[in-house]
Amino acid sequence: MLRYTARRLLGAIPTLLVIVTLAFVLLHAAPGGPFDAGKRILPEIQKSIEAKYHLDEPLWRQYLRYLGDLARGDLGPSFQYRGTSVNEIIAQGLPVDATIGVTAIALALAIGGAVGVNAALRRGTRWDYGTMAFAVAGISTPVFVVAPLLILTFAVTLHWLPAGDWVGGSPSHLLLPAIALALPYTAYIARLMRGSTIEVLNSAFIRTARAKGLPLRLIVWRHALRPTLTPLVSFLGPAIAGLLTGSIVVESVFGLPGIGRHFITAALNRDYTLVIGITVLYGGLIILFNLLADLCYAWIDPRVRLR
Amino acid sequence: MTACRARALWPSLACLIAGCGSVDPSTTAPGGLPAPSISVGTALAVEQNLSRTLDDTPRSLDPHLSTDNPGQRVLDDLFEGLTSVDIGGKPAPGVASSWESSADGKTWVFHLRPDARWSNGAPLTAGDFVYSLRRVVNPKTGAEYAQGLAAIDNALAIASGQKPIDALGVEALDEHTLRVRLSGPTPYLLDLLSQQYAYPVYQPAVTRYGDDWVRPEHIVCNGPFVLRENVISSRITLEKNSNYWDAAHVRLQRVVYYILADRSTQVSRFMAGDVDWTDSFPSNQRPWLKSVLGEQVVNSPYFGTYMLGMNFALPPFKDNQPLRQSLVLALDREPMARYMRLGIYQPAYTLVPPLPGYEQPLPDWARLSDQARHALARSLYAQAGYSERHPLRVNLESSRQDPDARHYYEAVAASWHSVLGADVHVYEREFKVLLQELQLHKLLLFHYAWIGDYPDPYTFMQIFYTGNGNNHDSYSNPSFDRLIDAAGQEPDNVRRYRLFEQAERVLDDDAAYIPLYFYATRHLVKPYLHGWQSNVMDRNLSRYMYLLEHQQR
Repeated sequence: MLRYTARRLLGAIPTLLVIVTLAFVLLHAAPGGPFDAGKRILPEIQKSIEAKYHLDEPLWRQYLRYLGDLARGDLGPSFQYRGTSVNEIIAQGLPVDATIGVTAIALALAIGGAVGVNAALRRGTRWDYGTMAFAVAGISTPVFVVAPLLILTFAVTLHWLPAGDWVGGSPSHLLLPAIALALPYTAYIARLMRGSTIEVLNSAFIRTARAKGLPLRLIVWRHALRPTLTPLVSFLGPAIAGLLTGSIVVESVFGLPGIGRHFITAALNRDYTLVIGITVLYGGLIILFNLLADLCYAWIDPRVRLR
Repeated sequence: MTACRARALWPSLACLIAGCGSVDPSTTAPGGLPAPSISVGTALAVEQNLSRTLDDTPRSLDPHLSTDNPGQRVLDDLFEGLTSVDIGGKPAPGVASSWESSADGKTWVFHLRPDARWSNGAPLTAGDFVYSLRRVVNPKTGAEYAQGLAAIDNALAIASGQKPIDALGVEALDEHTLRVRLSGPTPYLLDLLSQQYAYPVYQPAVTRYGDDWVRPEHIVCNGPFVLRENVISSRITLEKNSNYWDAAHVRLQRVVYYILADRSTQVSRFMAGDVDWTDSFPSNQRPWLKSVLGEQVVNSPYFGTYMLGMNFALPPFKDNQPLRQSLVLALDREPMARYMRLGIYQPAYTLVPPLPGYEQPLPDWARLSDQARHALARSLYAQAGYSERHPLRVNLESSRQDPDARHYYEAVAASWHSVLGADVHVYEREFKVLLQELQLHKLLLFHYAWIGDYPDPYTFMQIFYTGNGNNHDSYSNPSFDRLIDAAGQEPDNVRRYRLFEQAERVLDDDAAYIPLYFYATRHLVKPYLHGWQSNVMDRNLSRYMYLLEHQQR
């Protein structure tokens, strides 16, 4: 297991290198530079800005310089926010996204899991159809519809919760964005859990347990639950990575200082370092959570052997 | 040459976020919301804490590096130049309490307030201004708006690396007297000196901390407020500066700027009562906002013009005045401004937006009836060699900056089609791509918008001057240039304005651009927020604002 983990982590390095290289090449190939503006800048001043950010060097040297800095954990200066480093922007934004993401995933797992298993146990009943209809609606309603509706209801009309802002992650500010973000995941998890629970309940070892006369509650908790988690884990790995790096829409609607929004504005403003920095972070997180998911398989399903 | 804000061409890239989120509350927000009822008293509120919004994160809080509108808003509260602006946006004494100019208008002497101080208590002297203005034009600083100081003697030569920085025409006669030499008479100098690139910066902080000097823990400023907190993409918190010379008249204790790139979010935060003043709102929401919020929706003329540019160096527009003019004439600006821009924006027939003292030279064609104008446009179109069987085929290139601009351009293309039979296709490009194409002079027909930097026609006129870096048209007419040169040497402002009016007529005769409409500001303002006025430069300093007692139900 330990050797497996170490090998996977080492294997991540070339993957990240490919990601960095692709991001670097694609960004520099895109037309327009970070300091092109609606207004023309005097050539001498343009030159001095480019020299400051090493944009006057040949591309290969910029690339090597970037890799060298990256190896030291320095993601470079942001171009669009002059005087601010990419590390700083990520350090400021990641905790926000992580807090909302973890809250949303916890909500989604608790509610989605319970609803899904219940629906499976009461298969074919009104409860099953009702919750699954709700789940389909949840999956298909985009966040940019849900989030403004939540604000309209709970902030503008009822004045129960704030309409946005981030006050160090206070629960009242956290709730609406977390719910908006959690809704599609809750729905997806509910459907996933329902499907896999039905499948597991039909398998031979559950029949054996029933034949032994065990009560249903015990069968579900002791025998059925663990194997039903397999599809959930493969879904959660990338999902958590995605949640941690932020939802652009939720951040935008609630005015939260996460990093998801930067990703878009940085790309549009040709803020090379910020885009690559966030890409590397995103890539790293996906690799990490996929690895965690694989490790979880081994724990859930004794037939899986990691070598 | 003078500077124009980076948002000159496109108000804000961040609009794209709104676009990508597709948060279009005209579909998600029901129009019949109950209006929050607010009762306003007459006494000052006990807590003088103001919440405002910004459309985007300021790119920098270094006044000399700042180029965007959000930056200017915050810097207007943190710093103060030799001059400032009054509540109506007009130049007013700032750090300098008085000044006089020579008869030829080329030498100005400013008398600084002896009680002017930095936020750390250190005295603010003429030497600070010499250092600061030199810093702006020093190419090493990398100040994108160094051209803003072009009026000062040798500024451009220094910024182009041809002269040493101490050649700048700024000199401290003593601790509290500053002499400024200009390259020509500049009637708008007092407006220029109130801009962020003419703000003083505190040399010891800049030297000691380098780029980091603008962090809340290091920054030293001289305006009515000091910086307490700066969270990128979230909020900027300011507190009253007790060392400000006019601190006795500043009533706000704290100002929080919330950065909300999504304009719909600004609306919801305003409706929820979290903010007192918004920087903007989505223009397509105006009808229902007006019905719900009434007087709290404020629109006023803004010093900006939306137009279309045409490429003078390439066919079909090269040497084809009739074609260009037929496109200018074929548009029905009144109904388009009313329906497509929801009545917020005024139709434009000229280049320079309404400005006190300046008479917009309304072209003759603007007075024609629709039918007569269309007929004239059709005959010009035919004269240019186009017909129904050989229509003009060209792309109208724009950027995805403004979610509702696309509809407007579709209407423009449709008008050309129905009046002339021209086949114009609206083509949207990414902002940076469009910029690059513009600078390479590759585009034929393109979106072009300009926001003036200071209230003077010159800020608009310069873009059509031969060889100007922002002259994406490649337009050149010696008689236009001569008029602009003459205006540059004319100390009398009335005669200067007449020269600019003549120059506008030259542009109209040449059909140098296609005017569409003039900008307007878009704010939501709570009824209990007083101490501000709409003004053409849209500068609303927190310094003058105060909150009245109120109850919100």
